[in-house]
Amino acid sequence: MNNPQIEIQLIAAVVAIACAIPGVFLVLRKMALISDAISHAILPGIVIGFFITQDLNSPILILLAALTGVITVVLVEIIQKTKLVKEDTAIGLVFPALFSIGVILIAKNANDVHLDVDAVLLGELAFAPFDRLLISGMDMGPKSLWVMGVILIMTLALLVMFFKELKVSTFDTGLSSALGFSPIILHYGLMSVSSITVVGAFDAVGAILVVALMIAPAATAYLLTSDLKKMLGLSIGIGVFAAIAGYWLAHILDTSISGSMTTVLGLVFLLVYLFAPSKGLLSVLYRQKQQRIEVSLITFLLHLTNHSEENERHINHLNEHINWQKVRSKNVLNLALKNNMITIENKVVSLTNKGQEFTDLAIEYIITNRDENIEHMKDDFFLFRG
Amino acid sequence: MFKQISMKKIYLIFITIAFFGCKNTSEDNGKLKVVTTTSMITDLVKNIGGDLVEIEGLMGAGVDPHLYKASEGDVSKFYNADVIFYNGLHLEGKLVEVLEKMEGQQKTTVALGEFLDKKELIGSTYFTSNYDPHVWFNIQFFKQFAEKVTAVLSEKAPKHKAAFEENNTVFQEQLSQLELEVRSIIATLPEEKRVLVTAHDAFNYFGKEYGFNVVGLQGISTATEAGVQDVQKLSDFIIENKVKAIFIESSVPRRTIEALQQAVLSKDHEVIIGGSLYSDALGDAGSVEGTYIGMFTYNVNTIVNALR
Repeated sequence: MNNPQIEIQLIAAVVAIACAIPGVFLVLRKMALISDAISHAILPGIVIGFFITQDLNSPILILLAALTGVITVVLVEIIQKTKLVKEDTAIGLVFPALFSIGVILIAKNANDVHLDVDAVLLGELAFAPFDRLLISGMDMGPKSLWVMGVILIMTLALLVMFFKELKVSTFDTGLSSALGFSPIILHYGLMSVSSITVVGAFDAVGAILVVALMIAPAATAYLLTSDLKKMLGLSIGIGVFAAIAGYWLAHILDTSISGSMTTVLGLVFLLVYLFAPSKGLLSVLYRQKQQRIEVSLITFLLHLTNHSEENERHINHLNEHINWQKVRSKNVLNLALKNNMITIENKVVSLTNKGQEFTDLAIEYIITNRDENIEHMKDDFFLFRG
Repeated sequence: MFKQISMKKIYLIFITIAFFGCKNTSEDNGKLKVVTTTSMITDLVKNIGGDLVEIEGLMGAGVDPHLYKASEGDVSKFYNADVIFYNGLHLEGKLVEVLEKMEGQQKTTVALGEFLDKKELIGSTYFTSNYDPHVWFNIQFFKQFAEKVTAVLSEKAPKHKAAFEENNTVFQEQLSQLELEVRSIIATLPEEKRVLVTAHDAFNYFGKEYGFNVVGLQGISTATEAGVQDVQKLSDFIIENKVKAIFIESSVPRRTIEALQQAVLSKDHEVIIGGSLYSDALGDAGSVEGTYIGMFTYNVNTIVNALR
């Protein structure tokens, strides 16, 4: 590996961490779309900042852009408060308007601005190592590494200082106000941090990758854990992994770096979505199948309790009576046998004491409308699940 | 439990990838490493440097330099390069900015277009401070490019100075030959028929130097789309001037010029698509049109044959 290769990965990793942290809170607050909105809506702020400073890396530019980001959020809330439209509609109304103002500003002054919409939306990470910070002739490393490094340290400091407040206000706004930290201030604080991160990362990696790095790792981590600290850790891990793996994918395919990183983020999410232990598609499907057979079991046991006559409990009769297919009735019978809920003598099925107890409890819960208790009851009674 | 396993796996993947990445592919053979942007400049440097330098061209056949996107491999090419030759005059978009910044970091980057006499350049109608970057369509300018490249290469690799200068003499002679040939082909076309209608304004220098009235549909940057009005105005122009043929360009989608043809046909006038011209990139490497001289001859023949 040569220097720029290491530096690109370093920049990408720092950007990934800086994006993952606000991303987790945005995803948990169901405001993922706002990051996309901010990334587009800050354009007029950047353009105006560039007119004033003539420097794409000036801190004034970052401040102005972050301000536009906060203005976006304020506008969205004003529109939303009219109750005429929903939040997603409000976001959809605000950010294209602001973005268009930015595009028009660029188009009207195109001769002075080396800023085109293309560069805004898909920044060029490949060039980042060649834009260096020189202090009195000394090479201090890539500029974007410094910009993102400062933003990351700031974000980390704010996260540590306000972790409790963020946690409470994210999960329980009411409790948060009661405890005395204003959810509104935290809300705007979070939005400001998101805006600043988007702006800082914007010249280095482009807005699309920023949005991907904010949302995809957090959304993936959300499928894997419900603990906030673990979710933060996992998001950071996934973000950094996607940044590095994406870089090497681009290396192998000799293609766009930002594009490859976004692709890896998408693939990681897809894999986790399919295979996550409790929220993944496969385990959800498996649980649904389990549920179905257990419901059948309860139906079967109820049938047994209701019929004392032997011909109703004869094994050959079951199929026609409850109208089940052979396989299904066999599965249900096996499950009941394995759990010691029934005995079979001379092809006649009878409930055991345990089976009777289980059925009585189930009836009780169903009659008193406490169906959710059946799940806990299953844990107590079942040795084997369906 | 699950988290631990997955983290371990992630680390494993990480390490594997890092190891794969560590193999160093670029070997050092002591030759001067030259990176070039457009295929015209790549061909030029090949003519001057020959086998004495190692040349990496970034943009292949049919790549539009305005819309060029860097790939991962380009990073190492830039980093390992001793000299980078590019067109400049904002032809290469954002890349120009990056290359200008690299100048300060012990890398020789040469914007060949910037060394031309600005008084001879065509100012852009949209951008007052900018110039039309398609300077290679004036053979005289391209000859100046060759002189500059020779000077830079001789300075960077002094031991091959004589060879570079000899190559340059040969190439200059070929270019002079080309110019004579081009002028004699064009002379066979009556002056009132010298109207060149193409997809974008790449041929202004060509028109100015060789007496063509050049009309482009899209403006200088290929990023902007042609408007409905542009198509209508241009179709009226074609009918008024009895233009026989209009031309597509290799690096610009043919859709817009076909729309123009339809507009003319709908007004009950004939116009044919005279062929595909090479504008911002040469033809495929290895073909005749893959060299500057081959490309130029091909373009002139195509234009003259279709308009005659």
